[in-house]
Amino acid sequence: MSTIHLHGLAVYQQQRCLLNPLDLDLHPGEALTVLGESGSGKSLLAQAIMGTLPAGLRAEGELSTEDELRHHGRHYPLHDAANRRQLWGELLAILPQEPVTALDPTMRVLPQVAEGWRKPGSGQDAARHSLAQLGLQTAQRHYPHQLSGGMAQRVAFAAATLGGARVLLADEPSKGLDGGACDTLRQLLQQHLANGQCLLTITHDIALARALGGQVLVMRGGEVVEQGPASRILSRPAHPYTQQLLAAEPQAWPTIAHPAAGDWLLQGRGLAKAYGKQQLFRDIDIDIAAGERVALLADSGAGKSTLGNMLLGLTAPDHGSVRRRDGLPRTAWQKLYQDPVQAFAPRVTLHTALHDVLKRCGQPWSSLEALLARLRLSPALLQRLPSQVSGGELQRLALIRTLLLQPALLFADEPTSRLDPVTQRDTMHCLRDELGRIGCALLLVTHDVALAGKSSARQIRL
Amino acid sequence: MTPFTSCAWPQRLGYLLLAAVLLFALAGPLLWPDYAGQQLMRFLEPASLAEPLGRDQLGRSVIARLASAARLSLWLASLCVLSAALLGCLLGVLSAWRGGWTDTLLRGIADGVLALPGLLIVLIFSAMAQGGFLTLYLGLALAQWVEYFRMTRARSRLLLASPHVEASRLLGFGPAHIVRRHLWPELAPMLLTMMSFGLATAILALSTLGFVGVGIQPPTPELGLIMTEALPHYSEAPQLLLAPVAVLAATLAALVLLRPLEATR
Amino acid sequence: MDSARQRALARICGQRLLQAAIVSLLVAALCFLLVQQLPGDMAFRIAAGRYGYDYVDAAAADAVRQELGLARPAWQQFAGWLGQLAQLQLGQSLVTGGAVLAEIAHHLGATVQLAATSVALALGVGLPLGLASGLRPGGWADRLTLAYSVLLRALPPFLLGLMLMLALSVQLGWAPAAGHGEGGNLLLPVLTLGLGLSGLTARIVRDSVLAVVQADYYRFARSKGLAPWRVFLRHGLRNIGVTVVAYAGVQLILLIEGVVVVESLFAWPGIGHALVHAIFWRDVPMIQGCTLLLAWLFVLMNTATDLLCLAIDPRGPAES
Repeated sequence: MSTIHLHGLAVYQQQRCLLNPLDLDLHPGEALTVLGESGSGKSLLAQAIMGTLPAGLRAEGELSTEDELRHHGRHYPLHDAANRRQLWGELLAILPQEPVTALDPTMRVLPQVAEGWRKPGSGQDAARHSLAQLGLQTAQRHYPHQLSGGMAQRVAFAAATLGGARVLLADEPSKGLDGGACDTLRQLLQQHLANGQCLLTITHDIALARALGGQVLVMRGGEVVEQGPASRILSRPAHPYTQQLLAAEPQAWPTIAHPAAGDWLLQGRGLAKAYGKQQLFRDIDIDIAAGERVALLADSGAGKSTLGNMLLGLTAPDHGSVRRRDGLPRTAWQKLYQDPVQAFAPRVTLHTALHDVLKRCGQPWSSLEALLARLRLSPALLQRLPSQVSGGELQRLALIRTLLLQPALLFADEPTSRLDPVTQRDTMHCLRDELGRIGCALLLVTHDVALAGKSSARQIRL
Repeated sequence: MTPFTSCAWPQRLGYLLLAAVLLFALAGPLLWPDYAGQQLMRFLEPASLAEPLGRDQLGRSVIARLASAARLSLWLASLCVLSAALLGCLLGVLSAWRGGWTDTLLRGIADGVLALPGLLIVLIFSAMAQGGFLTLYLGLALAQWVEYFRMTRARSRLLLASPHVEASRLLGFGPAHIVRRHLWPELAPMLLTMMSFGLATAILALSTLGFVGVGIQPPTPELGLIMTEALPHYSEAPQLLLAPVAVLAATLAALVLLRPLEATR
Repeated sequence: MDSARQRALARICGQRLLQAAIVSLLVAALCFLLVQQLPGDMAFRIAAGRYGYDYVDAAAADAVRQELGLARPAWQQFAGWLGQLAQLQLGQSLVTGGAVLAEIAHHLGATVQLAATSVALALGVGLPLGLASGLRPGGWADRLTLAYSVLLRALPPFLLGLMLMLALSVQLGWAPAAGHGEGGNLLLPVLTLGLGLSGLTARIVRDSVLAVVQADYYRFARSKGLAPWRVFLRHGLRNIGVTVVAYAGVQLILLIEGVVVVESLFAWPGIGHALVHAIFWRDVPMIQGCTLLLAWLFVLMNTATDLLCLAIDPRGPAES
């Protein structure tokens, strides 16, 4: 097995440098993880190596392979994307970000996995073996739309690695995955390393970086900020930005005292829900008191969003009942959505949307301005459309929108799962502070155990 | 930037063509008012300054007839499209909002009407109409409402189930707000595109009927009708046939060009 | 066939049968309205149709009125009308006196011949153009296809037919302008209908090719190391086919409307031609028969495309 070297890798858009020149070494059996937030240039890194940069951007530098047995290597200049296209499947393989859309919907699983086979003969046997090892022997004749998210990821992994490519590039592999699927992913990647292959992972998930070990590269704004062994960087970071990144992990948050619970607010008894033949949950009892903070923990598909919707009165339970305290206005029960862009009418400016809400609840403009100032949002943002505002800022605006109505309970449905770690920490702190200020209760749905522990007084497992 | 200067050249060409046809349709009958007066002595008179396209086989002014026909096509087709759009949208939103039996019933009717290509519906209505405008208008509108219904229903169903509508309901807003801020801004662009399609289809259907002889009856000038009457005299006075063809083709081309093109990446 | 597909199959057949039933009801209602709307005495017309205009008198008209029950209230007549339709008794043509079913059967062959040949031409021209322009967007093939489809959309079937007739028949004398019987007679109608459809086909194929080539699964397949032509054959064709078949419904509408117009223009003795004649002469049984047949053909062809869609795409045709 040989090492892959990357010298002077850089990405330019005409004269502007988007990714400053850097050097990387990929050793077999050792993971290399690139850590950074959105806009740090980490995706450009992967695209420059694969040769899939968008039009208008060009890469500089060189990729060279070392072959210990024969004492000579090959060099591939990065500005010519075509030379790397020939290496696809043979040297380079990419694990797709969205496994479900990366599979051809009209073809069964086995042929899609088998077609990456590079040696003589059909790859069917090897594909069958690979799928069996991943626990997918029953899914061979399935179509992609019949697979769950986790299964689709394992199929994509099998398909990408069947050709025996030496370098696997994983771009944000843990995006949108819950705890169980994350564990499976970790095992897959560790197995890949154990086979003596090279792995380049690009992520903002620090836990994944820790589990993979090897070398770590921290990036910010197109530059490498820190580089070195994972064991050192992730426990004793030298650069302030890395320290900030590590402090943004929920485990590192300071433990604070949550407010004491008041009178009862909401009571759910014997709640049950089934979708078709699948029973999501049964005989659930929930109590939430005024001002209390409760977290609901479960894996994807377990029905936590459905349970929250039931408590809010948005869906009816199959069995059981929900009692809400009398005397509260209809708008005392509010919700924060996982994807803030979808929570706003797409073609209406934020100014108009918030103005409508102010008119509805009869509040003056000054209360909105006060909230904007406290949450560190510029009033100029309001002139934009929801799609033109970043995820973190938009989620805070959604929070402001609900706070204007002085809610008694806020149901936050995975409000930060799509955000970067630093943005996630800021948003959760804002949420906690503002809700504490008006004494509003919080029902937080998440799959991140650490986050739940730091943000709530009580955790319920589905 | 006005819509005119900000779009690509195909759309600019479309705007220009449409403006030209509109100008002709509106100003023409004012400049050449007499489209019905026959002067048999001036049979197939060639073009002159007073009569830019000459006279036809019954001595009538060709340009006056053409302008009047263009105006007729445009206003009748516009009326049909507006009615069809209004009816289709209202029923589509109703169907998506109420669901249940209302939805099933309306969908069933729409599916049935859909199985009958529009031209056939219009043909049957034209048989009832015997040249009268009201029945023709009814036929054209009934042939088109289904597409607006289906589009509006499909979009509205998605929108009404979306998180932003759910959020608005939680915030205490009622149906009026949801229609105004959530449904209408999403439906309006699609509606405009569909209406330009519909206008072209309606104008085409009118002239097809006229050409075949079962639509608007003579002596009312109509583009297709003028073409049929001009066919026998093609060798002597080709402009009699080519002029209405040009007007019709220009109108249709304008409507086709105005639609936004798919991006070429 | 797994159960999901079986359910989809049952759903498609059920929906289409229902659609056929509703459209038949609709056509019957419209034709009934048409009859009621016509000026003059229906009984008199039918009697005149039977015995000839010179031999009919009030007594004969009365006899006919009694026989056909034309004096009953409207809703009873409609019920009777529907009853007859349910038994597939389509009556007799008011113009020729012959049975409507027989006349239609006679014309059906000509229409099918025209439609089939035109669709073949449309696919033969549209598919290659669409593929060429979709695989190289922005290139000269793409621009050419765009201009071609805009031109054809702006030229309705009867205009296109007129121009082709003038050019090929009158000016160049390559083909006879109208009629039926000689081989050359098929050329102009097929050219008109086929070329007209090909414009839309080319655009649909082009858009579909673009969407597929830029899809995530296409790029993933390439990244596995497969050669571009292999990726196209294995992943491109079937997915392009799915979209193209899904759009077939729109083209079928244009086909049926085009058939009516082209047959009238070139005097091709098919169902469209018969329909237009029947409209002209207010021959209601014939109008009803022809319209019903065209509508049923349409539903049948849509069912075929739904089934084809089900065969290619395991997810089945999308529910609207």
